[in-house]
Amino acid sequence: MASAVSEAAPRPIEGAGENGWRGSGAGYLFLTPWLLGFFGLTLGPALISLYLSFTDFDLLSTPRWVGAANYVRIATSDPKFVAAMHVTFLYVALAVPLKLAFALMVAVILNKGIRGLPLYRAMFYLPSLIGASVAIAVLWRQLFSGDGLLNRVLALIGIQGPSWISDPDTSLYTLVALSIWQFGSPMIIFLAGLRQIPKDVYEAAEIDGASRSQQFWRITLPLLTPVVFFNGVVQTIEAFKAFTPAFIISGGTGGPIDSTLFYTLYLYQEAFAYFRMGYASALAWILVVIIAAFTALAFLSSRYWVHYDG
Amino acid sequence: MTHAMGRTVGAPALSRRLLMTSMLGGALATRGSTAFAQSDLRLRMFWWGSKERAERTNKVNALYQQTNAGLTVTGESLGWTDYWPRLATQTAGRNAADVLQMDYRYIFEYARRGALLPLDGYQPAALNLGDFSPAAIDSGKVDGKIYGVSLGLNSTALIYDKELIQKLGLKEPSWEMAWSEIGDLAVEISKAAKRDRFTGLADGGRDEPALEVWLGQRGKSLYTTEGKLGFDDKDIAEWFAFWQDLRKRGGCAAPDTQALDRGEIDSSMLTLGKAAMGFHQSNQLVGFQALNKSKLGLTTYPNGGKGAKPGRYLKPAMMWSVSAQSKQQEAAVKLVSFFVADLEAGKLLGVERGVPASDAVRKVVTPTLDELGRTMADYITLISDKVGPLPPPPPRGAGEIQTILRRVNELVGFGKLAPTDGGKQFVIDSTAVLARG
Repeated sequence: MASAVSEAAPRPIEGAGENGWRGSGAGYLFLTPWLLGFFGLTLGPALISLYLSFTDFDLLSTPRWVGAANYVRIATSDPKFVAAMHVTFLYVALAVPLKLAFALMVAVILNKGIRGLPLYRAMFYLPSLIGASVAIAVLWRQLFSGDGLLNRVLALIGIQGPSWISDPDTSLYTLVALSIWQFGSPMIIFLAGLRQIPKDVYEAAEIDGASRSQQFWRITLPLLTPVVFFNGVVQTIEAFKAFTPAFIISGGTGGPIDSTLFYTLYLYQEAFAYFRMGYASALAWILVVIIAAFTALAFLSSRYWVHYDG
Repeated sequence: MTHAMGRTVGAPALSRRLLMTSMLGGALATRGSTAFAQSDLRLRMFWWGSKERAERTNKVNALYQQTNAGLTVTGESLGWTDYWPRLATQTAGRNAADVLQMDYRYIFEYARRGALLPLDGYQPAALNLGDFSPAAIDSGKVDGKIYGVSLGLNSTALIYDKELIQKLGLKEPSWEMAWSEIGDLAVEISKAAKRDRFTGLADGGRDEPALEVWLGQRGKSLYTTEGKLGFDDKDIAEWFAFWQDLRKRGGCAAPDTQALDRGEIDSSMLTLGKAAMGFHQSNQLVGFQALNKSKLGLTTYPNGGKGAKPGRYLKPAMMWSVSAQSKQQEAAVKLVSFFVADLEAGKLLGVERGVPASDAVRKVVTPTLDELGRTMADYITLISDKVGPLPPPPPRGAGEIQTILRRVNELVGFGKLAPTDGGKQFVIDSTAVLARG
């Protein structure tokens, strides 16, 4: 490594662009920490888990090769897999569009150029920074429990609310709400996207007599589709991977009655509560395939609705 | 992070140890030279439990370090739920602590997979179990070898808010009460207390130990010696029906309140102020009292009526085991021995992990106990002639059956299944899990 530095450093950028490795050697050198992390901490374990998914492995004994048995079981006779799929898809279907819509709404309002914009921006972004943390999930428990803050407020207007987080009919929606509340990061990206839209387009539309809502649907949204696309893909992946809130709020059980049994939580239980690491690895790879399929679908469909030209 | 640091043996680590020795009052001047001659020993200890337990355990470790120059014990603890995943991962990663806290539920799985060290060969030089009763020693045996050393005797216990029940002018629960009587008492407490979302009893329908005692009183058990279910769907349906009835009468916690309980002291209905009585373990009284302002009491789980079997049994509350991966096995065994046989250590530990199994330690500890500790020791004495034998070890998959019990109890509680259907569902799901292992 040291020799590579001394070799690369004094050399002017003569080769840049023409001969691959030589010119980009320094680049790869700078990438070394990331590459080490990627191969050592991401790709390596991922490949091992692919191997484990074809074994019966209880963490304590050596893995035993079982072929596709784990996948067969998941596909044919695992009611919990179906339950977890149901919960996860419902969560993704609700949380992603609602969060994006909310983020876009706030971004449009902030884009109006109100005073103290940086302050509001920071305030709205804050939940995204801390939202995935354990502390916030604990706070959420307090807010939505039977005698939590929400019910106390409702009691003032004479409504007796349920115990939101521990009632199987409402628990998942509290998690959706928690997700929407973390709208900050897509909001910032939307805001940046809105700033890119040239002002003269709106001026022209105004002169032509377009109303505010017409301007939004005919100009803002179409010109923003690349950003919508990006946010949509990122948020969908995030939603499929959601774990911490459900883990903390249900105390790791996915309860009550599996109503918050996210796919990742089920996977975690199989691996670490019931010591079925092989089976859990198979579950993990199925999630990888699902996420990949959704992302591919988004990319394939994008040419029909994403407009890249300004 | 401390572990990573603890593993590097070098100058900084050495000076840190010396510093600690001197802080602990060891005579640095006289010991300094010999300390260098000795190998720098570090033992890791891992247990589950409350803050109270951590404090007591760390005190014993500090005491042990005082008399053993060149030795450092680093302790780490987690709650029960988080403990087992961590232990399994550490064991799989060949990074298990030297001394581990074990439970009767898991010791068979760990010992049979070679994760624990058989301790028989270390007796009596390193491991002093001289005045343990044979029953106490046997409770840590797997397939005839000692893998666990009892840290204290324990049994199931109904822990209740003594102060509140007295204030309400009601009769305290006692070992003479049957299930229906405790149920009636619970309804009375709920009515008299007049607090929002507060009931006399926590929902015990999801508690495996409660179910086990109830089954035992009917001459059945959770599992047979062959690792099958020891009861049928009618038994468990009756169990769910008992709780559903009590729920309807307002005697036990509503399902959406009970769902807040994560199975640890701090989220129990009693500690959350949602119920006056709950199904727990006798040694937990210390931990419960630490978190509850009101004065607590304990008694047995309800009895099975006249002529019924006791259902309950005395078991090691928890055990120390030594990891088979430990590089300092002998030192680890000696530390274990210190915890269970040393009189001073015994005084520091009290009965927080259960009543000591060693006669000598028990005799020294008993007079030093505070009222709480004495209550617990008296409880173990009270039930000693009212217990049955230790049940067969739980089979593979038993951990998941606890989850099934909780889930089906919720299905019944939230009105999604009738108790009889709940019974069928439970047997179907549990049988599938046991078959899968």
